Order: sequence, then C-alpha cells, then structure tokens
Amino acid sequence: MNTIFFILRQTLTFSIPLLVVALGGMFSERSGVVNIALEGTMVFGAFTSILFINTVQDTMSGQFLLLLAILIAGVSGILISLLHAYASINMKANQVISGTAINMLTPAIAIYVARMIQDVQQINFNNTFRIPLVPVLGKIPGLGDVFFKDAYITTYLGIAILIVSSIVLYKTKFGLRLRACGEHPHAADSVGINVYKIRYAGVMLSGLLGGIGGLIFVIPTSTNFNATVAGYGFLALAVLIFGQWKPMRILFASLFFGLMKTIAATYSSIPFLLNLGVPNTFFKMTPFLATLIVLAFTSKKSQAPKASGIPYDKSSR
Amino acid sequence: MKKIVVVLLALALVLPLAACNKTEDPGKDPGTDPGKEKDTYELALVTDIGTIDDKSFNQGAWEGLKKYAEEKKITYKYYQPAEKTDAAYLDAIDLAVEGGAKLIVCPGFLFEPAVYEAQDLYPEIKFILLDGSPNDGDWSAGMPTYRIENNVYSVFYAEEQAGFLAGYAAVKDGYTKLGFMGGMAVPAVVRFGYGYVQGAEYAAKELGIKAIEIMYHYTGGFDATPEAQALAASWYEAGTEVIFACGGAVGNSVMAAAEVADKAVIGVDVDQSAESDTVITSSMKQLSISVYDGITAFYAGNFPGGKSVTLDATVDGIALPMESSKFETFTQEDYDAIFKDLVDGNIEILKDTEQTDAADIPVEVTTVKFVG
Repeated sequence: MNTIFFILRQTLTFSIPLLVVALGGMFSERSGVVNIALEGTMVFGAFTSILFINTVQDTMSGQFLLLLAILIAGVSGILISLLHAYASINMKANQVISGTAINMLTPAIAIYVARMIQDVQQINFNNTFRIPLVPVLGKIPGLGDVFFKDAYITTYLGIAILIVSSIVLYKTKFGLRLRACGEHPHAADSVGINVYKIRYAGVMLSGLLGGIGGLIFVIPTSTNFNATVAGYGFLALAVLIFGQWKPMRILFASLFFGLMKTIAATYSSIPFLLNLGVPNTFFKMTPFLATLIVLAFTSKKSQAPKASGIPYDKSSR
Repeated sequence: MKKIVVVLLALALVLPLAACNKTEDPGKDPGTDPGKEKDTYELALVTDIGTIDDKSFNQGAWEGLKKYAEEKKITYKYYQPAEKTDAAYLDAIDLAVEGGAKLIVCPGFLFEPAVYEAQDLYPEIKFILLDGSPNDGDWSAGMPTYRIENNVYSVFYAEEQAGFLAGYAAVKDGYTKLGFMGGMAVPAVVRFGYGYVQGAEYAAKELGIKAIEIMYHYTGGFDATPEAQALAASWYEAGTEVIFACGGAVGNSVMAAAEVADKAVIGVDVDQSAESDTVITSSMKQLSISVYDGITAFYAGNFPGGKSVTLDATVDGIALPMESSKFETFTQEDYDAIFKDLVDGNIEILKDTEQTDAADIPVEVTTVKFVG
C-alpha cells in the first residue's frame, strides 16, 4: 500500500508542473496564438525566482518565501511572453519562429546573468518548502498519504489554477471572447471585441503559468537550477494536445503522463512491475505512443482552435 | 506606449553587455571571442561537455591550473568548445594555441582523438590529458590506434580504488542497503561503480555481514532530471540507505531525493559536502593536485611527456575527504588502515577492463541488482 501512495506522490511532482504549464499553453492557443515558447518561459520563470530565493534565503525561508518566488516567477514569465506577443500579434511574425527564439534565448540569458552575478552557472537553493506532514489532513488514511505528506503548497496551487482556469474559460465573458478569438477572430471583431487585447491577455496568461510552472518543476527535483527544465515545456505541449485544449482533459493527460514517467523511473523498486519483465523503455515511450495513437484516431475531429497560429489581420476578410 | 515597451526591451538587452565590459578580467573571460586584443595566455584549459563550474570534473582541473597560475603570476584562460565533436574540441585547442598557450589541459576521455591530432599539429605545445590516452578514435577494428608523443602527459586515476574506499566506508559505517547511480557509462564512471561494489563486499566480509544489497543504475546523462530524482526517491522508499551519485549534476537530483527521505548520499570527483547536508562523504580524484603537479613539472623543465600514468593510492591520486565526512563508526584510523592496504597492494580490485558487467563481479555476500 505504501508503495502505491509513494508512486502517487511522485506522480504529483511530475504532473503538477505539466498541468500548470499546459493550462498556460491552453490560454494562449485558445486565443489564437501558438506558444511553443513554453519551455523558454519555464526556464526564465525558474531562473528569476530561484535567483531570488538564492539571494534572500539567508533571511527568509518557508512558505512565505515560496509564495514570493511564485509571484516573481509569474511576473517574469509574463515579461518574457510579451516578446512573443509583440512579435506574433503586432508584427504578425511566424509564431513558431518567435517561440523558438525565446526557447533559445532564455537558457542563454540564465547562464549569462548567473555567471555575471556569481561566477557560477548553477544557482543553489535550500529547499525549505516541503511540508513533511500537513496537520490533521495528513492523518486521513489514503488521501492524506497522497496529498498531505511530503507535500508542497504548489500542488494545491496547481489544483486551484485548474479550477480557476476552467471557470474563466467557460463561465466568464472573458473566456467566451478568448475562445471566439481563437476560433473566428473576424467574427469576434465584428461584434466589437478587440482581438489584439484578448490575444495579448491569452499570451500573458501563458507566460504567467509557464513561469510558475518552471519554479514548481525545479524545486522538488534538484538542489540547484542549471538553466534547464529538461524538455518539460515541450512535454507540456504534448499534454496540451493530448488533452485537446480542454482543462479537465488536460488534467487527465498530465496525470497520465506523470504516472507513466513515474513508473518508468521507479519500476525497479516495485516488485510487481519488475517481475513482469517488461523493459523500462516500454514505460518510457508509453505516453508518447499514446499521444500518437490518440491523435491519429481523433485528428478528424481534433479540437484545435481553428485560428490558432494565424496572425490576425483586420484588413483580410 | 508601444514605443516605450520597445525601448525598454532594447535597453534590457544592451545593459548587461555594458556591464560585462567593465568586469572583464583574463581569468574569467569565457574566451569564445578570439583575438580582440593581443593579450596572450600561457596556460589554457579546454572544457569537455561539462562547464568550468560543474562542481566536479572540469572544476577540479581548473582549480589546479588557476592555483598555479595565480601563485606564479602566469596568464591563464579557459576555452569552451562550441559543441561536443572532435572537430570542435580541436578548434578550441587551435584557439588556445593562437591565444599563446604553452600548455593546454584537456580534462576528459572525450578529448582522446582531438589530442591525438593536436600532438602532431603542435609539437611545441604541451598537453595534459586527464582520464584518457591519445588515440585516433576509430573503434571499428575493436581497438583504436594509440600513440602518445613526447608533448603529451596522459593521466588516469584509479577510480576503482576511490569507489572501493567509498563502498568500504559505507558498509563499515553500518549501511547494508546501498545504491549506485552513475551518469553515462563511460570508463571512469564504470570503474567507480565496480570499485564501490567490491569495497562493500570487502567490508562485509571483514565484519561478517551476511547480506549486502546494491541497486545499480546508469542514468545515461550528466543532468539533474526528475527521472533521476524519482528513481533515487523510489530506492530510498524501498529501503536503500545510501546512494553513491556518480555523474555530475545527477548528484543534485539524488540529493534532492535524499533530503526528502532523510537518507544519505556519497559524492564524486571532488568534495561535495557543501552541496547538501545529506552528503556523508565523497569519492575523490585529486584532479587539482595532479594538474598542479603537471604544470609545476613543466615549468621545472621536466614535463613527464610521452607517458601515460595511473594515479592511485600510492601517489595520493584518490581519497575520501575525512575531515568533512559525516561518518559515525568509520574512523580516521579505519581509513588510514584500508588506505595503507591499498598502497601496499594487499587488495586486488577488478576494473572495467576485466569485467564487462557489474552483475558479473565475483561477489559472495553482496547482491547487485542491475537496473537497465
């Protein structure tokens, strides 16, 4: 039983950053802007916030510091995403290219600035954010073992972001406008919606969530930040597509990816899986294989926003 | 409004450049822009796929070079190859030579083919090749052609002895469930692992312990990844007490897992005790000392070129940093005794060249569980 709880806990460390970043990607794409800059946004958000933690960790620690760091990660994510927004909305540039540029730019900035400040490219941080056992809630059998033991507040934040995202997208005026701009911007424009503003908002939201996701990703997995998030931004894109641009499906996709990743990494200590004799590579490729299969079968009725990737030009009808 | 944003962004890009110009000094200049000024640098180091501050291999070598250069007021500089190919390594060596280098340190066995060519191209330049011996890199016939000229000093370390000490100390200190997590399965990493297994076995026999269990895995890279963290966490969860993290930044992921599980880590290459409180000791190669000694010999006029040496316990090429270690029952006396046994050659340790697979190491009380 303990092994199962352990696997589920580990799954959360994989899934929560994927979930948050994929939700960010969702806002951008549903507003009509393809954002493959998620990887770069994560790197940048993690970089600024870890640098912040590194600077102040002698005087501060714990959850308050983490919340401040999350704020900084989000704001810097927004700033870097503005580059992408300006290029792809105002300048009508190819969105894939400006996204790629950000992916290449941010690790370089992170290394460059880190070396200028402290001569060393790795930025160390003390992990004072883990909660060994949440009082009361941690005692609940089952649920407590998974969600309230060795937990991070980022897990709850991730779930909150999911709920809020879902409500914003489907239950608010803004959400309706956002979806309209991603499906048919001209129609949206004709009823008086400012497509540029909405798309800016979409991209900035993806920057916010991408930056936060970068921080959430780094904290439980290392003791320093080395200008990389190991391709998880791209994985989040796969989660986004697998989740068909819908919040709840994205949740399931990220849990699925997380579970498969966990099993691939930890199967050596799970006797049941070890005895199956299935090679480790099988577990490693499962999420990607599943993505391919699902896409192959659903591509006809794929839910991709229709206007995603096409710069909006008022004059062309 | 739009214009203000553009101006701000432009400023943000330009300002760091301006700041950089002010702080330029020869020791830290990354050196990828060639010949802007006519300064020359006598001592050079070319990094391999790691960086100068990898807290491990490159850094150890760089510190030795820097120490000598600063003591003797000699100019020095490092060069970073653009990518990990033999051609890029050779380009970086060319650049170092153009920059006036008289001696070039090349840390890592990946430099073997590049140094093989460079030794003929630049017969007047001296090379210190760590962890490798110059060869043409053509493994199609099973073995490449090895040739070492008088301007190359090739240094190997007895990693199996360093690993042996780590494994021995861990078991002597009361651990019975061990783990080994290597980076890429390159010869040096493999030797560390084999020595570790045999050290654990040796100590178990001494203590009369009946069963030692070692989980054994190569991650295939030198990066900190959630996969490495999850694997380490799962081992700790399943009862593993200490993991020998033998692969650059992989160690940081293992340490992150150890902090959660409140378990122990053994570091590698250099003393990593400052990285995390979970590091109980480090399996060290005395990189900076051997680079320092090599350079000293060069300036004294007796550069040990044309030789390939293996630095082992007899010349203090490997060690555990006892003063920063957090052992409970393994004492300095125990360490001195086992170290003396290694020096005297009383212990035979198999290396990677003698065994093809960690699971084939002849052990009796130790079980090696190899995870592919």
